[in-house]
Amino acid sequence: MKMSAILKKEFLVFFRNVGLVIFILYAFTMDIYIAGGGIKVTPKNVSIGYVNEADNLMVNKIISSFHSPEFKKPEMFLNEKALKDAIYNKKIMVGIVFDKNFVNNLLSGKTAKLQVLIDSTAAAQAEVTLIYLQNILMKFNKNVKVPAKIDIIKLFNPNSNTKWFMSLSELMSVITMLGLVLIAVVFVREKENGTWDIMLLMPVKSSLIIFSKILSQVLILMAGITTSVGLVVFGAFDAPINGNLLDFYLISFLYAFAIGGIALVIAAVSKNVLEVGHLTIVIMLPLIFLSGAWTPLSSMHPFIQFLSYFSPLRYYIQATQDIFFRGSGFMDLIPYFGAELLMSLVLFYIGYKKIGRLF
Amino acid sequence: MRLNVIKAYLKKEFIDLIRNKMIILIYLIPFMILILFGFGIKMEVTHTRTIIIDKDHSKLSLEIINKFSHTKYFDVKVENLSDKEALHKIQTNKADMIVIIPPSFSKNLYKGSEIGVFIDGAFPLRAITIEGYVQKLLIHGFDIKLPIKIENRNFFNESMKDYNAVVPGLFGLIFLVVPGALAAIMIVKEKEVGTIFNFYSAPIKKIEFIIAKLTPPFLFHSVNIFILLILALYIFDVPFRGNLFIFWLASEIYILISVGIGLLVSIITSTQIAALVLSVIITVIPGFLYSGILMPISSMDKESYIEAHIFPVMYYNHLVYDSFLIGQGFKSSENVLYFLILCAYAISLILLGTLLVKKAVK
Repeated sequence: MKMSAILKKEFLVFFRNVGLVIFILYAFTMDIYIAGGGIKVTPKNVSIGYVNEADNLMVNKIISSFHSPEFKKPEMFLNEKALKDAIYNKKIMVGIVFDKNFVNNLLSGKTAKLQVLIDSTAAAQAEVTLIYLQNILMKFNKNVKVPAKIDIIKLFNPNSNTKWFMSLSELMSVITMLGLVLIAVVFVREKENGTWDIMLLMPVKSSLIIFSKILSQVLILMAGITTSVGLVVFGAFDAPINGNLLDFYLISFLYAFAIGGIALVIAAVSKNVLEVGHLTIVIMLPLIFLSGAWTPLSSMHPFIQFLSYFSPLRYYIQATQDIFFRGSGFMDLIPYFGAELLMSLVLFYIGYKKIGRLF
Repeated sequence: MRLNVIKAYLKKEFIDLIRNKMIILIYLIPFMILILFGFGIKMEVTHTRTIIIDKDHSKLSLEIINKFSHTKYFDVKVENLSDKEALHKIQTNKADMIVIIPPSFSKNLYKGSEIGVFIDGAFPLRAITIEGYVQKLLIHGFDIKLPIKIENRNFFNESMKDYNAVVPGLFGLIFLVVPGALAAIMIVKEKEVGTIFNFYSAPIKKIEFIIAKLTPPFLFHSVNIFILLILALYIFDVPFRGNLFIFWLASEIYILISVGIGLLVSIITSTQIAALVLSVIITVIPGFLYSGILMPISSMDKESYIEAHIFPVMYYNHLVYDSFLIGQGFKSSENVLYFLILCAYAISLILLGTLLVKKAVK
């Protein structure tokens, strides 16, 4: 009864702040759509230029095999200098020089050398682009006998659709950010507006106040997650789900409480909303970047990998990827649920102790 | 414009920032972003957890296993699992890749023998990169002579280090997000606390108010330019091949742009939290997307290519990458053009903000 009254009050406060509601809707829909659709980590439309000193049909044949989606239409340059200038001005990423001996060597069976100038600023992109080039040239190596077929299968996402992965990563980042901000602000706003003392006078136990305040924001988050997964991840990007959506809800719920624990600590130490904002950024960034939201943990420094065991986001990310892509069942996910539950209990306890002192 | 009024207001702002301990955050946040992202964004893939299932047990299969073991890209374990168990390993995220060498693989060479590679595709970029490594490795492993050999020359980031791409790219992100958020919060705070009425009622002009509000974030972050530069050069070992003066000037103008965005945000928001969230949301995504960290602008599709030209981050980062890695400076007309575009951005944002600020209750 008392709890529902507090919940009702918190929802009212939330929905009266129309600006905030709009931002949160934006964060859960458009923001994730932009991140999912916009960030393409696999090279597409690589701008390519060439210099043709060989002037042979063979060259035209090779050039015409650079096409979308991997490459843009190749641009011709008169000499190597012009091509280099274009690379220096970042107009072109890959330049190919067919020199005079290229065709002769190719036709006479010698090794024909192909000069490739590449802007390797984005090292991984450059690496993958070189792999593309290699694959295209393989087609012109018809006489080569391959001893064994190499059968490479990319499981779960055979076409490497980055939208699915990116939108989920962004969703988890958004949940982390909003979870910290919303929950901390619920407490700090009372401090800032001077209503904290009124809250203390309420005939309600402090633990109940703390718990229901958090629950109200967690419920808002869950509504946001539902909107986001429904409209963007499944709706706009048509992502698969190989596991069970309920598992995802469960882990999201646990994660929201773990984040709530951290937010309580933030709320306890900050005097105003501004400090909340800054502390959130300071805590959120390492949490997101060192838990493997965007880049795989296994390539990171061993020490960071060790640290990430203490991040609640690590388990959330892995469980989410397992549920959506790898199709793990409930039994396989139990370690994640357990770890996440433990994290949320510990963090919640710390946060509760911290903020409890102020009551 | 009266200088003494501005001076008095500025003094108040500086005292405020220092009392708030905001000053710590002004320097801590950019530092953290650079360190965390610099060390944290790893595009290169190493230590792929690989399980090789060798059903052939021949000299060739051992050789292939050896090839996989001797690179930093793969952490190889040879195990005897059924296909189903192996798949389960990937499903439970205990392995990233499974290589299956079938029985009598070496006997059937040139007679349709097949080597099966299964990669966890949950991380698309990682999957593609691993695929490329495997192809390269196996082609070398089989000693196939290719008639066309690629001789690649890498420009700008010759050593192919992630740091060289990520760290300069972060400048455009940091200086777009942080000064803007600070400026927006400093103005909106007055609105939220109610002290904005001092500005409404005091004999201070709009322009004086704006100068007094925008100068502290601008000045504090000007110092940050050099702090971050030193970090980039000495911690991440990024080369600096361009002109320091151009880099500094472009950075100052870029901070002005960010502060201008913060001014605009402060006009449409009335609470600090809204100002913070809005300014971060509208700057982080373009700041990251169009920074060139992940993807060269020239390789974007039409839509994103046009969008990239709308946001200032592309022009600034072009100059930053030029200063760090390329070093053409103003010898290239492209750089001059981009510099002028940045100036135009800064002027028009600040002008627009000045026009829209109201010195009265709405």
